[in-house]
Amino acid sequence: MTSASLAGTEEPMARPAICIENLHKTFLLRHRTAGTIKRAVLNAFLRNPVERREVLKGINLTIQRGETAAIVGRNGSGKSTLLALIARVYKPTSGHIQVNGTVAPLLELGAGFHPDLTGAENLGLYGAILGLTSRQIRERAAQIVEFAFDTPDLAEKIDVPMRNYSDGMKMRLGFSVAIHTDPDILIVDEVLAVGDEAFQQKCLRKITELQQRGKTILFVSHDMNVVRRVATRVIWLHDGIIRMDGDVDAVVDAYTRSAEPPAP
Amino acid sequence: MPRVKDELLELWRFRSLLWQLVRRDLKVRYKNSRLGFFWSVAPPLMQVAVITFALKHATDFAKGFESYSAYVLAGMIPWTYFQTAVLDASQSILLMYGVIKKVYLPREIIPLAGAISNFIHFLLSWLVFFVYLWGISRAPILPTTLWLPYLAFVQFMLVTAICLLVACLNVFYEDVKYIVSILMSLALFVLPIIYVVEQPLYRGSRWLHGIGFQLYMLNPLTSLITGYRKALLEPPPRSVLGGPSLPLDVGNLLLTGLISFVLLVASYAYFNSRKWQFVERP
Repeated sequence: MTSASLAGTEEPMARPAICIENLHKTFLLRHRTAGTIKRAVLNAFLRNPVERREVLKGINLTIQRGETAAIVGRNGSGKSTLLALIARVYKPTSGHIQVNGTVAPLLELGAGFHPDLTGAENLGLYGAILGLTSRQIRERAAQIVEFAFDTPDLAEKIDVPMRNYSDGMKMRLGFSVAIHTDPDILIVDEVLAVGDEAFQQKCLRKITELQQRGKTILFVSHDMNVVRRVATRVIWLHDGIIRMDGDVDAVVDAYTRSAEPPAP
Repeated sequence: MPRVKDELLELWRFRSLLWQLVRRDLKVRYKNSRLGFFWSVAPPLMQVAVITFALKHATDFAKGFESYSAYVLAGMIPWTYFQTAVLDASQSILLMYGVIKKVYLPREIIPLAGAISNFIHFLLSWLVFFVYLWGISRAPILPTTLWLPYLAFVQFMLVTAICLLVACLNVFYEDVKYIVSILMSLALFVLPIIYVVEQPLYRGSRWLHGIGFQLYMLNPLTSLITGYRKALLEPPPRSVLGGPSLPLDVGNLLLTGLISFVLLVASYAYFNSRKWQFVERP
């Protein structure tokens, strides 16, 4: 089913990076009405009501190699779930996902980082989480640090415990590690907004460079300026289905119009 | 079984992550303390000192032993390994929840890393034990010491099995970690840690005769602790035990090896059958 990410480079170039057929994903949600002790005791004995919520309701999507697809949509429309399914974090409830190539998800701030370890130690750990071997980590460590901390005052913090890092610095290191795993497909879930202006520019340049090297990028963003600037294709998810898919300007315009309050 | 083979191959592919997590565990544990490794040896040593003091003065349990504390320590070291590893495992998946919600990785790596790092501490504790036994107490080195690698290996399989099971169950039922810690405090007395198995056997406890004793020795931890003692220490005098010291029971130890292996396979299979539901618990 999703065995393809093992295959890596020997795949013929003609195959699409991601091929999704009739994908459904249902989650179970348990509603817990907290409050009184009586309620708590009852909840312990009666099973809480479980709701089945279908988050993705039949997605068909093919993403070619080298495309940069932005996924837009309101909160709760299934964007992150779709990315997580592509990253093999969830199994589909039904349907089929084929991913050709290695996938590196760019983690949220702090996930995978341990506050008591230094930046350098966390770099090794995070690299391994993304599937790098110890040798690859050793070889790329210098590049990763250089990309993340380009000024001397930042660079000297690499051997300081991570708890003394600012959110922006964690973000820089995280982005840098993910980029340097050299994945075929990079998945970015709403994290690019952190970091100062200079670093954001640098990230966008790096993304452009990856695009030129034919990498596939999939990202979720609520920043339509970033979407217009980076994406080559926009997918608008609404309530678990694809409402619109295609040309950047057309989809962004339609999506932006839908978010405006109705005219009085 | 092709599926098991695939799972193991996938685990092998992620071996560098396993290694990084083990290193992280070892580093983080004492990262902010000055005395480092001392803190993993100190608690069992202090416990042994307190138990020895109390039992020597309050009961005749410890009377007549050449070195009662060596016996307690030889039970306490494997016990501490089992206890800390299983308690660590019960929390392990939830501590990495932020990562496994975002990244694909073979989930079993997380409890495995904990089991391995605790195993390393366990081996280091034996070093301290041997310094005490052979260096300070000048006890003779018995040829049966050669059993130690086998016993340690069997215990590793046993601990890993329980770790996988507890780690998995605790994701869905967080009561598990409380149940486990209560069972742990009971087990300190049920297992032959502050006494040796011959003592209840000869003291005429009616539960521990014949089939009862066989069942008691079927518990892998009882068997292992007894095994460590018989392999490393000279038997206590007959007067303490109330009867002849039992010999090192090879059949029982091999059976324990088999039980631990079966437990490991079963618990690994169970873990794998549920590991993709971790991120979807309602």
